[in-house]
Amino acid sequence: MSENTIGKKSLNWVDKRFPVIDLFERHLSKYYSPSNINIWYLFGFLLLIVLVMQILTGLWLMMNYTNTAEGAFSSIEYIMRDVDYGWLIRYMHAGGASAFFALIYLHMFRGMMYGSYQKPRELIWVGGWFVYVLLCAEGFTGYVLPWGQMSFWAAQVIISLVGSIPFFGEDLAIWIRGDYIVSGITLSRLFAFHVVLLPILIIAVVFFHILALHEIGSNNPDGIDVKKHTDQDGVPLDAKPFFPYDISHDFYALGVFLLIFCTVIFFFPEGGGYIIEYVNYEPANPLSTPAHIVPSWYYTPFYAMLRAIDFPLFGLTAKFLGFVVMAAGIAIFAALPWLDRSPVKSIKYKGIFSKVFLAGFVISFFVLAYLGSVPPTETKNMLAKVFTFLYFAYFLLMPFYTRFEKCKPVPERVGDAA
Amino acid sequence: MKILFYFTILFSSAFIFSAGEYRCGSMECDYFEADVSDKASLQRGLSTYMNYCYGCHSLKYSRYKRVAEDLLIPLEMYENNLIFDGSKIGELMEISLTKEDAINWLGAYPPDLTLEARLRRPDWIYTYLRNYYPDSSRPYGVNNKVYQNVNMPHVLEDMQNNLSQSEYDQVIYDLTNFMTYVADPSAEQRKRIGIYVLLFLIIFTAFAYMTYREFKKDLK
Repeated sequence: MSENTIGKKSLNWVDKRFPVIDLFERHLSKYYSPSNINIWYLFGFLLLIVLVMQILTGLWLMMNYTNTAEGAFSSIEYIMRDVDYGWLIRYMHAGGASAFFALIYLHMFRGMMYGSYQKPRELIWVGGWFVYVLLCAEGFTGYVLPWGQMSFWAAQVIISLVGSIPFFGEDLAIWIRGDYIVSGITLSRLFAFHVVLLPILIIAVVFFHILALHEIGSNNPDGIDVKKHTDQDGVPLDAKPFFPYDISHDFYALGVFLLIFCTVIFFFPEGGGYIIEYVNYEPANPLSTPAHIVPSWYYTPFYAMLRAIDFPLFGLTAKFLGFVVMAAGIAIFAALPWLDRSPVKSIKYKGIFSKVFLAGFVISFFVLAYLGSVPPTETKNMLAKVFTFLYFAYFLLMPFYTRFEKCKPVPERVGDAA
Repeated sequence: MKILFYFTILFSSAFIFSAGEYRCGSMECDYFEADVSDKASLQRGLSTYMNYCYGCHSLKYSRYKRVAEDLLIPLEMYENNLIFDGSKIGELMEISLTKEDAINWLGAYPPDLTLEARLRRPDWIYTYLRNYYPDSSRPYGVNNKVYQNVNMPHVLEDMQNNLSQSEYDQVIYDLTNFMTYVADPSAEQRKRIGIYVLLFLIIFTAFAYMTYREFKKDLK
């Protein structure tokens, strides 16, 4: 390309005033990722795409949504019937919420498997965990907006948990609801959180998460530090530039993801009641409680923990203790970098205990997800207790089993692996 | 590690699919598969709905015009025959029965049924409407196997008595089919567009794959 084309000139003009070339190089063409990363490293990119999709579809939904108790339910049906392609936008948004959680769970599991949270990536992990917490809040507030039966009763159950806090809980719950029960006042404030505060926070923390990642670089399935071996220019030997090598892989993954996602939203938009619950097609009715109240599938593991604690202890109510256990189940992820004392990062080189406990964690996560989605029985409650215990055992025993188990030696370079 | 992972999924899915209870009250739901592309069936279902159900059960999230257009009914014919209260064709399908009257006369306010097929599922409606039985202990002399002690009288009783079993089943099929349509009127359009979207994505993914493969060659 000649030096004096219009394109080159304008690029130079901009670059003298804003570092576009530097940013492009630093974050894309000269940002290096390990050469051995696998399909588990695609979910971050997909999550970013889903985030953008949720913001855009959310914006369009908001153009026709009414945030009042009287108007919310019928405004959703207005979107579904009278707004051109409103059904598509709404199914994308509802399906997008489920996709968001499916992808973030896979993304988190990757980090747990390969020890991506370990030094020096603690802040990347904690930032990502905070995105997950914000996403849980975003999912919850969004779920209330259609103002169906399950919207109303989910809000009622979740906010009443705050009421179980000793001494000031009840006052706090009234302060949060703005009313004695969940009402239109609650709806419009949850709406405000859903469309303004939480999305801004999510975008900000995602930005932090990516910035922190680009400072240190990705981990890899072997947990090898690829920055140790560089050529004379300081380029890591076992790595490749993100652009174009990873981005082309990411776009291929995006195609596969969209094939699955669009199959769901065009042909199974309710996802068998898991994406849009059938009970939510009945308008909110404070006078009639649904037979069983179940949260969305992505919260069911934690809901099962809440219900598993059915006994009071030390003068605290069962409800409050359940609330604490549930919150701890989410919060404990943030402590992982400090719980893991292993000299190696990846599960490939960790000892047998790490493998067994990680498998135990995955099994308990799935079993709790199931238990949280069905009406409780005595046996199921017993199971929920056992698997809640197993879930926490993975985290709380980690300082011990990671320190004493026998690990395999980590290869020096990527090529040396296995 | 991989084996453990697959084992986990297998183990958990066995759990998820093991739940079982009757969704249709005291019996299993009968098999029902809607066919919303069958316009004749939807038209017959609409006519049954408007003549037997619409007195009490509104379709207030739907508009007359949308139904007429989707079911290929000329607007004028629709206006002359299927709008009873002088509403405009573009209006929502609301009924004139008031809440107070309904509670006085029937003891309850009949729910809007626009979304009933999404709420209870079509097979429930199909089974429910075919399982009324005489029960002298109930105020209307009928009870229902699917919905115990139901408040709704058996409005199709005459029809059931005058038609053969298969003819009656067909009436209920058409009615349920119509209710399935009205609960999700964009279903047909959605599936049609969905095919094109997936075709586009297959091409997109193929090109994305080829690009990825080309770049990957550099790294060998």
